[in-house]
Amino acid sequence: MESLSETLWDVVIEGTGLRQSLLALALSRSDKKILHVDQHDYYGSAEAAFGLQEADEWVGNVAADSLTLPFRNASLWKAGVYGDERLSFSRAYALSLSPQIVYSTSQLLAQLVSSKVYKQLEFQAVGTWWIYDSSAIDASPSLRRIPNGREDIFEDKSIDLRAKRSLMKFLKFVVDYQSSPETWEPHATSSLPDFLSTQFKLPPHLQTVIIALALSLETPDNTTVSYSLPRIARHLTSIGVLGPGFGAVLPKWGGGAEIAQVACRAGAVGGGVYVLGTGVKDASTDADGSSDVTLSNGEVVKTKLLLRDVSSGVPSDAVIAVSRIIAVVSTSLLPLFESTIEGAPLSAVSVVVFPPNTLSTSDTANTHPIYIMAHSNETGECPGGQSVLYATTLYSSNRKALLKIAIDSLLLSTQNAADAVLYSLHYEQTAPSFGIANPLDLAFDDRMLEDVKCDWKKVVGEVDAKFMRFEDWAGMNNEQVDGDCDY
Amino acid sequence: MADSTPKPSSSVKLVLLGEAAVGKSSLVLRFVNNDFQENKEPTIGAAFLTQKCNLPTRTIKFEIWDTAGQERFASLAPMYYRNAQSALVVYDLTKPTSLIKAKHWVAELQRQASPGIVIALVGNKLDLTNEAGASNSLGDDAESDAADGEDVDGDARKVSTAEAQSYAEEEGLLFFETSAKLGTNVTEVFTAIANAIPETSLKGIRGPGAAAAPARTEDPSRVNLTGPRDSASKEGCAC
Ligand SMILES: Nc1nc2c(ncn2[C@@H]2O[C@H](COP(=O)(O)OP(=O)(O)OP(=O)(O)O)[C@@H](O)[C@H]2O)c(=O)[nH]1
Ligand SMILES: [Mg+2]
Repeated sequence: MESLSETLWDVVIEGTGLRQSLLALALSRSDKKILHVDQHDYYGSAEAAFGLQEADEWVGNVAADSLTLPFRNASLWKAGVYGDERLSFSRAYALSLSPQIVYSTSQLLAQLVSSKVYKQLEFQAVGTWWIYDSSAIDASPSLRRIPNGREDIFEDKSIDLRAKRSLMKFLKFVVDYQSSPETWEPHATSSLPDFLSTQFKLPPHLQTVIIALALSLETPDNTTVSYSLPRIARHLTSIGVLGPGFGAVLPKWGGGAEIAQVACRAGAVGGGVYVLGTGVKDASTDADGSSDVTLSNGEVVKTKLLLRDVSSGVPSDAVIAVSRIIAVVSTSLLPLFESTIEGAPLSAVSVVVFPPNTLSTSDTANTHPIYIMAHSNETGECPGGQSVLYATTLYSSNRKALLKIAIDSLLLSTQNAADAVLYSLHYEQTAPSFGIANPLDLAFDDRMLEDVKCDWKKVVGEVDAKFMRFEDWAGMNNEQVDGDCDY
Repeated sequence: MADSTPKPSSSVKLVLLGEAAVGKSSLVLRFVNNDFQENKEPTIGAAFLTQKCNLPTRTIKFEIWDTAGQERFASLAPMYYRNAQSALVVYDLTKPTSLIKAKHWVAELQRQASPGIVIALVGNKLDLTNEAGASNSLGDDAESDAADGEDVDGDARKVSTAEAQSYAEEEGLLFFETSAKLGTNVTEVFTAIANAIPETSLKGIRGPGAAAAPARTEDPSRVNLTGPRDSASKEGCAC
């Protein structure tokens, strides 16, 4: 058995997060010598998905050292022991550290198809969107359905005719905003609410709906027109692309973690060598341009190229940070997932938006929007009769208490008691202010694929290899055989 | 086979684990292609194969992950057994250390894999024992002959059926002795696994109304990335 140091590697990849795993996939037919390491003993890095026991360990690690950057301040609460009547076995759960939905028009889906690995994934619909409304003076707060496309808006009786006309005008503009720069470019840096009221005369309650579609973590006043328009357009143009009634999907069994593992498997089938529990400690460049990389186990390996995981080195004072709570609740929340669109698949994920100032603790209201991604048990992330709520808000004062209130409010407005919460994991996640793709985004950011492609080019050079376009597993050290046998 | 009545079809993820050179890939090759290679090269990384099995009441599509036994860092297996509904843990019955390794894999699966995973323990290379001929043609009287065949060309068996079997019973595993070379018991292993998978854990056969729908059931939440954009549904498994 040769040791790692006897090989001159073409590339050493550090980390098995989504970005690095997609790179491994992109390189899986390249014939390059690839060493893929991760300091953790699990796949997925910041996109990992955990069973309850693994989450326990992870919380301990976050408290103990800095190896768990970009995460900090993790704590958890649980209603009982694992495996009792309420919480099920540890492995009956897959809790995602960085849950992201994937819009149907995302290039990620196209690349998973062209690289053939989509066959090992199952996708489910993110089909229902809600806004938390606490404005009605005479009624208790409730969830309002966000209309799912134009037909839905026409049928919405709560919108008066004039507002409807304004809304349709805006929607018509935004899905094709690039062809009318004169309408928005002068306002590129204005806030979205300003733009909506001055340019389109949208009443405040409809502004709230449009702003929700941007999935912005910032306050509406700090959410610019140039940031929002592409995001709103992405939302609207994605609806119906993969089927009626939904515009985004999520991989079953743990979202991005599942994609990362499938991608690494492709890397392994292509001959890549995988070492978990081993990170990069140090690296120095030789005269010939190759690097000597010291691994955390003390071994020194030689590689033509080293690609470090920048996210794991983010200092804790990084510019962006979010607070998250992952809550397991003892209710299937069925009404939340029911679609009104005919022929729509069963929605496995529902997005609930809490606009600013809709929730309050005894002393503060939420200055920033809070988002809850509700995952039904269809996602395979929890047992039947339960669901997983992923609540996220931008790091701000009282964030943890506000996230809790958001979860309680969701439960109350779906006629569940707040004691339905069985498990609650709170933590903060930071991201570098540099780098183009934002890992904290609630939707997969396609710019990550540009990062991957850029890394891929560094390894394969400018040859005319095709990025992420593979035949069906035909090739070197694996046989693709699709057999059929009768008994 | 006649295709007149479509049966419910579902896919089952299966992972093969075991020490290097015990015959994992050979078992798969026998099962999928009914073929054998005398000098099969070691698997690098892993290989992925699929094989459909038509059982009397349903069709099972195995998605088989064949791992490399000489994988140096034990870092690959976790991503193969994640969400696997079944595992085939193989040892070479002429090599006692391979059974120790197999027990290690069983323990790891019980600790880390999905709670309901169906595990089969398989002792391969039965043809290298003296009772091979008898067991090959007659089936199950292999053990009774094991003791008295040592005179002629030497029995290479080093792990007794009784030892492995009692271990398998203790741990609740399916147990088979096989020869990938001769084809002995190979399809039997896979059929036994297919039959042991609980109906409820099958993808594509569950969800609301599963009991009522006689055939062509489909996961109601599944989204097809490549299929027709309308709702015309195809077969249950998109692979
Ligand atoms: N006599 C005999 N030889 C076998 C049998 N099965 C496999 N072999 C031989 O054993 C060797 C190893 O077989 P493989 O199928 O490659 O073993 P493996 O477990 O896949 O090995 P790795 O991929 O390295 O983990 C090959 O030379 C096979 O021809 C068997 O049933 N009987
Ligand atoms: Mg092999």
